[in-house]
Amino acid sequence: MFSNGDEIFKISRLTIVWLAGIFTIVWMVCWGLGIALPMLLTSQLGDKAALTNEILRAATPVIAILVFIPINAMFMVLIERRALALWTVRKGPNRVGPDGNFQTAADAVKLLLKEDITPTGADAVMHTFAPILFFAPSVFGAVPLLAAVTNNHPLFHVLNLPTGIFFVLAAGALPVVALVMAGWASNNKYSLVGGLRSAAQAISYEIPLVLSLITVCLMAGTLDLVKITEQQAGGILNWNLLGGGALTGLNNALAGGGAKALATSYFMGPISYVCAGLLVISLIISFWLYLTGACAEINRIPFDLPEAESELVSGYNTEYSGMKFAIFFLAEFTNLFVVSSITTVMFLGGGDNPIPPYILNNIPGIPQMVAAIRDSYFCSTLHIINPETFFATLWVIAKVYGLVIFAVLIRGTLPRFRIDQLMAFGWKRLIPLSLIVFIIVVFAREFVICHG
Amino acid sequence: MATEIQEIDLKTDEMIINMGPQHPATHGVLRLLLTLDGETVKHTEPVLGHLHRGQEWQGQNRTWFQYQALIDRVDYLSGMFTSWAMARACEEIDGTVVPPRAEYLRVMVSEMNRITSHLLWLGTYLIDLGAMFGFPFYPFREREKLFDLFEEIAGQRMMFNYIRIGGVVRDPKPEWLDKLKRFLDEFPDRIDEYETIVTQNPIFLKRTKDVGILTQAVAKDYGVTGPCIRSSGIPLDLRRTKPYSVYPELKFDVITFDKEGDTWDRYMARILEMRQSIEIIRQCIDKLPSGDIMGKKQMAGMRIKAGEGFSAVESPRGILGCYVISGGGEKALRFRWRNPSFCNLAILPELLKGCPLSDIMAIFGSIDVILPDVDR
Amino acid sequence: MANLISRAFGGLNEVRRGLATVFKHTFREPITKNYPDEMPDLAPHFRGRLALTVNPETGDHLCISCKQCERVCPDKCIEITSHKSPETNKLELIDFKIDHGLCMFCGLCTEVCPTLCIINTNDFEMADYSRESLIYDLKKLTLSQDESAFYFDRKEMPLPKPKPAKPAPAAAAGAAAKPADAKPADAKPADAKPADADAKTVEVKKPEIKDDAKPEVKTEEAKADAKPEPKAETKPEAKTDEPKADEPKA
Repeated sequence: MFSNGDEIFKISRLTIVWLAGIFTIVWMVCWGLGIALPMLLTSQLGDKAALTNEILRAATPVIAILVFIPINAMFMVLIERRALALWTVRKGPNRVGPDGNFQTAADAVKLLLKEDITPTGADAVMHTFAPILFFAPSVFGAVPLLAAVTNNHPLFHVLNLPTGIFFVLAAGALPVVALVMAGWASNNKYSLVGGLRSAAQAISYEIPLVLSLITVCLMAGTLDLVKITEQQAGGILNWNLLGGGALTGLNNALAGGGAKALATSYFMGPISYVCAGLLVISLIISFWLYLTGACAEINRIPFDLPEAESELVSGYNTEYSGMKFAIFFLAEFTNLFVVSSITTVMFLGGGDNPIPPYILNNIPGIPQMVAAIRDSYFCSTLHIINPETFFATLWVIAKVYGLVIFAVLIRGTLPRFRIDQLMAFGWKRLIPLSLIVFIIVVFAREFVICHG
Repeated sequence: MATEIQEIDLKTDEMIINMGPQHPATHGVLRLLLTLDGETVKHTEPVLGHLHRGQEWQGQNRTWFQYQALIDRVDYLSGMFTSWAMARACEEIDGTVVPPRAEYLRVMVSEMNRITSHLLWLGTYLIDLGAMFGFPFYPFREREKLFDLFEEIAGQRMMFNYIRIGGVVRDPKPEWLDKLKRFLDEFPDRIDEYETIVTQNPIFLKRTKDVGILTQAVAKDYGVTGPCIRSSGIPLDLRRTKPYSVYPELKFDVITFDKEGDTWDRYMARILEMRQSIEIIRQCIDKLPSGDIMGKKQMAGMRIKAGEGFSAVESPRGILGCYVISGGGEKALRFRWRNPSFCNLAILPELLKGCPLSDIMAIFGSIDVILPDVDR
Repeated sequence: MANLISRAFGGLNEVRRGLATVFKHTFREPITKNYPDEMPDLAPHFRGRLALTVNPETGDHLCISCKQCERVCPDKCIEITSHKSPETNKLELIDFKIDHGLCMFCGLCTEVCPTLCIINTNDFEMADYSRESLIYDLKKLTLSQDESAFYFDRKEMPLPKPKPAKPAPAAAAGAAAKPADAKPADAKPADAKPADADAKTVEVKKPEIKDDAKPEVKTEEAKADAKPEPKAETKPEAKTDEPKADEPKA
C-alpha cells in the first residue's frame, strides 16, 4: 500500500519545515515588536516610552500580517503543487533547493523581475489599481481573524471588533470590483468576459455564503469572532459544525453531569432531542454551503469561471504580467487562506482541541506538560510561549491547512461549471437551501439550550 | 385574466471574438471566428489551414518508400491508421498478399493506437471542461505505457513507420507480447477508475448531457464518421460494415446508442471503444499465427504497379481514406487523403449555434479533431 | 422534492467517490523519472541519433560509399563524399555528413544500408547552440569499436565479415578521414612518438605552474592525444552509456 512512502515523507517534511519556519518568523517578529522591544524600552526609558509602546502595540498585528501573507502564499503554492503531484502520480517540484523547497521562492523572484506590461489601449490607471484593490481586502479582512485564531492573545486583542464577522465579509466582497476593473482595463475581450463573469458569480454566491454564516451567528448570538470561538471551546461536541451548542448538553452529560445535564439542556424532552438533531443537520449543511460559496467567492475550481483557462485563456488576468500578476496570484492564495480561517473560526471551533478536556486531562502527562510550559522562564518572564495560544495555534494551523488541502483535492478532481449552470445552481439550489436551513435554525434553537 | 407578456426587442451589440489560432482549447491551431451575443454564440466560422504541410503533394514527390515514413504525420495521434490506409491502397493496386501474421499484428498495433488516441482525447477533454490539474494525468500515464510498447516494436513513440506496404516491419518478441498482456490485464481497472471520477460526476453530466446534440440527419449530411456518428445511433463502423483485414475473424460489436447523441454519448462511445479494443487485442494475441511478416521487399526503389486504388480504415476519429494513383514508377502520381477530422469539423458551426461560450470547448472537444489531420 | 433530494445525494456521493479515487493515488508510486539523473531504459530499436559503425572485431569502417542512404533519405540530410581509388578501383569514403537538424529519425537509411554501417543509436541528447554544430561529420558520426560492438550486440545484427586483407592502402588512404581510434590498433611507432613528446612537454611545464589540478590535465591531454575520438564527442550521455555497454561483455 505504501509504495509511495518516499514522496509522502517528502511532502510531510516540506510541510513541517515550512510551517515551522513561517510561524517561527512571524511569531518572532510579533514578539520582538510587541513584547521584547516595549520591555526593553520601558526598562531603559521608563515612562517616556509609553507612547512608543502604544504605537508598537498597534503596529505589531499589521506587520505580522504583512510578513505572514507573502511567505504563507509561497508555501501554499508549493504545497498545492506537491499535493497535486502526489495525486497525479508525479513528483512535483524537486530541483530548487532540497526537495524543491525553494521552488516558489525562485518563482516569486522571477515574477518580480519580469517586465511589467500594460497593453496598448488599456486604461493604465485602472490596470494598475486593480491588483492593489484585489490584494488589499485580503490583508485587512484577515485582521479581526487574528485575535480569534490565537485564542485572544493579548498582543492581538486590540484588533478584535464587536462586529468582526461582518467586517470580514465586507472585506471579502470588495475584490469583485477589482476583478471587473481588471477585466475592463485590460482592453481584451476575454478579460472583459472574465471580469463580468466574476461580478455575476460573486453577487450570486455572496447570498448563500452570508446566509450560512448568519445561521452560525444566530446560534452564537453574537458577531464577535472571539466570542464565537470561546463559546465553542471544550471538545468537538461544542463546535458550531455539530449544532452550534445543541450537543453541549450531551457533552456535559458525558463530562459527568449525567441525566441531569441532559434534562437541563433538552428541557422539552423528545421535542428538544428532535430539534437538536435538526440543528446538527442544519449546521452541517451550512458548513458545506459556506465552503461552496467560498469556493465560488475566491474563484477556485469548480467555480473558477472568471479564469476558465480553456475558455477565456486566463480570464481577467490574461493581460497581466510581472509584479501585478504576482499580486493577483498572491491575493488568490491569501483569499483561500482567509476563507479557510473563517471556516475554522466559525465552524470548527477555532483553536479548540477536538478532544474534550475531561478526556484530555485524564491522560497522564498532558496536564503536567502544560503546567511545565506555563511555569517555564520562556512563558512566565519572556512571554515567548503561552500554552493557551501555543496549542490553539497548532490546532488552527492543522484545521486551516487541512481545509486548504481539501480545496486542492477538489481542484484535482472536479471539472468546471458552465456560467448559466453556475447561476442556476446558486439561485435555484443554494439560496433556497440556505434559507430553509436558516428558518429551521430560527425555530429549532428555541427548544434547545445552545450557545447564544 | 390574460396579460400578455410583451417581448421587447432589445438591441444588444454583438461581439466578435477571434478564438485561436493561439488559444489553450483549440487543440492546435484552429481559428474560430465567433460572433457572440453576450455569452451566446450566434455564428461560428472555423478558419483552417494554419497547419497545412502539403502532405498530398509530398506524397507525389517522394518515393513510395520515403513517403511511408512521412504519413504518420498526417494524423499524429493515430499514425498506425494512416500508414495502414496507405499500405492497403498500395497493396490493392499491387496485388500484394499480406501474410496473416502481419495482418494480425496490424490489427493489434492499430487497436493499441486507438487506445492511445482515445486516452489523449480523454485527458484533453477533461482539460477543456476545466478539470485541469488532477484527472488529465491519469490517461496520459497509461498512454505512456503503451508508447513504451510502441517504442520497442516500432522504434519511436508516435512516428511509428511500422505498417509498411506488404506487411509490418518488425516482428515482436514473446516478451513484448507478455508486456502487452500485462498491460491489458491492468488497463480495465484503470478505465473503471476514470469512470468513477468522471462518468457520473454531476458537474460533468451537467456540462455534457443535452449539449451539442448531433442529429442523425446532420451527421449524414456532413459525412460525419467515427464515434461521433455511432453515438448518434448510426452503426457505421468500417470494421463491421465493410470488413477488412482480419476483422471478420474477431468477435466484437459495433458500439451505438439508440438516440441522437449528445456530448456525453460521444464520451461514452470512446470509453466503450477502449474496452472493446482491449478485447480485440486479446483475441489477436490468442490467434496470432506464426509465419512471415512481410509480403513485399522493402527497398529504396520500391515500385507499385500502375493503377489506382482506394482504401479506408476505421481510425479513432472516423473513416480514414487514402486514394492513390500509381503510374508504375517509384513515385505516386496522385495522393488523396480523406480525413475524418476535416469532415467532422464541418459540423461545428451547426452544433455551436446558440450555445454559450463555455460549451464551445465541450462540443469542440467532444468531436475529437486533430488539426494536422484537418489541414494535412 | 424527493427526487430532488435523492439526486442531490446521488450527485454528492459521486463527487465523494471521485475525490476518494483521486485521494487513493496518494499511495501510488509516481511515474515520473528523474530524467537527467536516471537515464531512460530505451528499447534497442529506438531511433535516436544516427551513427556509423566500425567492424567491432577489426575496427574497419563499414561504409562502402554506396550512397543508398543518401538516396533514400526523405529529408536529404545525408551527404556522402567519396572518390574512386585509382589502385583498387573501389569507392572510398572521404566524408560523411548528416545534418541532424534536418533529420526526422525515420530510420529509412538504416534499413537500406547493405553493410549495417549506419545505425540509429540510443542517444537522443543532441541539443546544441547552433545549427552548424548539428551537422555531424565523419569523425563525429563514427562510433568506436566498443560502441559498435555494443550496438551490434544490442540490435542483434549479424557481425560483418572482415574485409579482404588489404590493410596497408586502406590505412594510408584513410589517414586523413579514418576514425582516429583505428590508430591505436595500427600502433605505428611514429604515431606514438608525438604523443609521448606532448606528454613530456606537459611534464616539463608542470614544475613551473604549481597547480594541483595540473596532473589531471596532463593525463587528460595525454589521453586525448592517444585517442582523440572521445574529445570530439563530449557528451556525458555517451560516457554513461559506455560502461553499461561494457558490463555485459565482461
